[in-house]
Amino acid sequence: MNGVTEDEVREVFFNTGDARPVLAARTAEVDRLIGEAFEQRLAPEFPAGVALVAVGGYGRRELFPHSDVDLLLLVEADPATQQQREALAAFLRSLWDRGLRLGHSVHTPRECCSVDDRNIELSISLLDQRLVAGDRGIHASLETELPRFFHSRRQDLINHLTRLTQVRHARYANTIYHLEPNVKECPGGLRDFQLVRWLSQLSGAQSYRMPVAEPMPELEAAWRFLAALRCYLHYRAGRDSNLFSFDLQEEILSQPFATQRDAASWMREYYLSAKAVNRAALRWMEMTEPAGRALLNQFRDWRSRISTSDFTVSRERVLFKSPNMLAHEPELALRAFAFIARHGLRLAADSERRIAEQLPGLSRYFAENPRLWPKLEEILTLPHASLALRQMHETGVLGAWFAEWAAAECLVVRDFYHRYTVDEHTLQAIEAIEDLRRTNDPLRRRFTGLLEEVESLAVLNVTLLFHDLGKAVRSGRHVEESLRIARGALARLDAPEEKARAVLFLIERHLDLSAIMNTRDLDDPATARLLAERTGTEERLKDLTLITYADIDAVHPQAMTPWRLEQLWRLFLVAHNELTRELDSDRIEAPPSNASAEMMAFLTGFPSRYLRVHSEAEIARHMELWRSAEQSGMAIDIQRRNGTYLLTVVATDRPFLLASLAGVLAAFGMNILKAEAFGNRRGMVLDNFVFADPKRTLELNPSEIDRLRLTLERVMAGRADVRRLVEQRRRPAAVPAPLRLKPSVSFNSEATAGSTLIEVVAEDRPGLLYDLARTISEAGCNIELVLLNTEAHKALDVFYVTCNGAKLSASQQAGLKERLLAACRR
Amino acid sequence: MKKIEAIIQPFKLEEVKEALKGIGVDGMTVSEVRGHGRQKGHKEVYRGQEYQVDLLPKVKIEMVLPDSRVEEVVKTVIGAARTGKIGDGKIFVYTVEEAVRIRNEDRGESAL
Repeated sequence: MNGVTEDEVREVFFNTGDARPVLAARTAEVDRLIGEAFEQRLAPEFPAGVALVAVGGYGRRELFPHSDVDLLLLVEADPATQQQREALAAFLRSLWDRGLRLGHSVHTPRECCSVDDRNIELSISLLDQRLVAGDRGIHASLETELPRFFHSRRQDLINHLTRLTQVRHARYANTIYHLEPNVKECPGGLRDFQLVRWLSQLSGAQSYRMPVAEPMPELEAAWRFLAALRCYLHYRAGRDSNLFSFDLQEEILSQPFATQRDAASWMREYYLSAKAVNRAALRWMEMTEPAGRALLNQFRDWRSRISTSDFTVSRERVLFKSPNMLAHEPELALRAFAFIARHGLRLAADSERRIAEQLPGLSRYFAENPRLWPKLEEILTLPHASLALRQMHETGVLGAWFAEWAAAECLVVRDFYHRYTVDEHTLQAIEAIEDLRRTNDPLRRRFTGLLEEVESLAVLNVTLLFHDLGKAVRSGRHVEESLRIARGALARLDAPEEKARAVLFLIERHLDLSAIMNTRDLDDPATARLLAERTGTEERLKDLTLITYADIDAVHPQAMTPWRLEQLWRLFLVAHNELTRELDSDRIEAPPSNASAEMMAFLTGFPSRYLRVHSEAEIARHMELWRSAEQSGMAIDIQRRNGTYLLTVVATDRPFLLASLAGVLAAFGMNILKAEAFGNRRGMVLDNFVFADPKRTLELNPSEIDRLRLTLERVMAGRADVRRLVEQRRRPAAVPAPLRLKPSVSFNSEATAGSTLIEVVAEDRPGLLYDLARTISEAGCNIELVLLNTEAHKALDVFYVTCNGAKLSASQQAGLKERLLAACRR
Repeated sequence: MKKIEAIIQPFKLEEVKEALKGIGVDGMTVSEVRGHGRQKGHKEVYRGQEYQVDLLPKVKIEMVLPDSRVEEVVKTVIGAARTGKIGDGKIFVYTVEEAVRIRNEDRGESAL
């Protein structure tokens, strides 16, 4: 080793942490060994016509302490005589005996430059070739041919490299954020660095001949870090091992060259290096992508039509039309992420760069305009929200928006199960929710059904965004810390109280279902009661089930086994059945201890759910209406809330009441999104309707609100015919039949003690609730309780019904089912 | 030597592990399995749609022990895993011919 022993090289490395002298010394030593073996074993038999050519990492002079040595035996013709073949075998044996792990191949210059798919690995390795020993003439002929050859096969080689890289990245879940990374193979590892060099060579940005490969200037620091780490791993393992395990992350801290005092800081430095390399690799793959086939081009052209006044789409990437506007209008960046979330397109490299340049301005914008809930909600409700969040994360915008997120970036929290950093786990959890819409796995499709029924996708995604951020505090109580962080962020964003409450509830309970799933007997009624008590309402149960699903699925790729899917689904059903039973059976008999006599009279007989879903302020408002209804027989209140309206009616119970109210709303062109109706012991009914005003009738004509109130009063008092009002309103165009949801009506008389449960799932349309409620009333049934939810185009209506105070008989059910199905199809 | 294979209810795993730890048995292999015996599957209904639950989630615990400890361990597992209801699970005991510790090639009971 040029007078320096292997031990001395190693010692220098452990003192300095500089890999370059190690690579140079080992390469020189291997050159020497191969040169000697050539002189002793091959030169006598091959005075000419054979050259030993270093390829791959050896060719680049980047031999790590235990890397394989790749050697090309360049020959004029295949060894002809037995003697020559024996000399060749003796040469290779002597090198193995010296401890070299040699990978060799024998080719003529012509074979090296021939077009053959089986040769493609050889072709790539030749990008790093250099002569070690032997016939200079034959090597010169190879060097003459190679540039022409690479030029002609350039795109094939690029495509092959890209394919290999995509497969490798997929093997590591397309993320750099592994808690125990392989520093060579993982995305962002040394192989990605080499990919950048190869692609830059093939695209002509660098010379084909790079006998001494130099790190690319912008990635030099990252390369030095990763190379030092790989060197260290080889020395510690005594073999070609590239896994930076938890043990070695601790052990490296005690080395003289260690620059960090704790493992978490080391890992942050690793992720920063890997991030730089990974981004460069992705950028180069994007830049060298083939023009592609005509059909693909047509598709891309079609995608370019979604360009707006702010953005243009080129080759599936989003570009700013006026990038300079970013400096004056930081909101443009948020619009870009909403655009990504809507269309599922990534930012172009230039757009990423421009956003990164404007980060200080964006930070100021977020600090000066914190009340950005509507923007966040918009992004997180769109179909590709996870991609938008990932791009916000990669460009640093998410960290600039939420300092709490920045604290969790690259955060390593070690446990037996998690494979990714906290930020990556979070993003994968949000992706897991989105992937439910695409899955064909029947066990997962059950959860897709739940996703279609949740009230707010933004609530789910915000919950996932904050659920583990408390881990950055390292207090050992991450749920409490995450809650504190989320509470602060939601207040800053000025999130509506109802949504903030939902997010905080879900964060607080996000580990409950997992714990119950593993520690409780799901067949035990006590477990069902515990689940109902923890979740409170069906809406929360669905949200929590999906949060649990996503949280488990994002732990590592194999975490969500069929076993866990089955357990989680069983748990959901147990809790759902209990909530269904209790909704009708568990009535408020003993109101809260601080309740006044008046409040007791008002609450007694309402389902327990009432206290869980309504705040104290809402209950006070309902009581006020009740007081006035006690005198006049009815009280009506209409309020505008976050873009929708809330109609509350308190009235003496009477036949067709629900149908009448729903009918009036339909007659005014209102779209009912949500409804609940139930009565108390005194025969008073409370009905709440959340409805949208799709044509902005009420907003543009405030007097229409008074007319709506008046019409409701007249219909309830029997002074106007709701049927005529509904018929007078022209029906909007129906959804084409093939696109319409097939309606289903199911009955369940076992679920509760006193009534029959009717569940209707149908394509939503104006007047649907009116038609359903009227059909039930016309059948002589009494609607005891109603819960209605509409998500997108799907209406889910649940009625608890009795007939003459009893459950419905089988024949009553059969008749009613047909009429309800007919009402759905109207 | 004997191999004990116990199929138990998932929620009983912690209790069984603790009980085994209490009698000095730490080494075991645990896997998530699905199946049914006499318990059979059943149907669940959600939104009027039936879901056939054929294979119920269970947990399988495997241990290899000296013959002298088998009865004690079996009794301990039974004591911790029993609820008295159908679906509590089963225990199987097999004879093991040989055990080898890969690290140092210890054989027989000393490899356990």
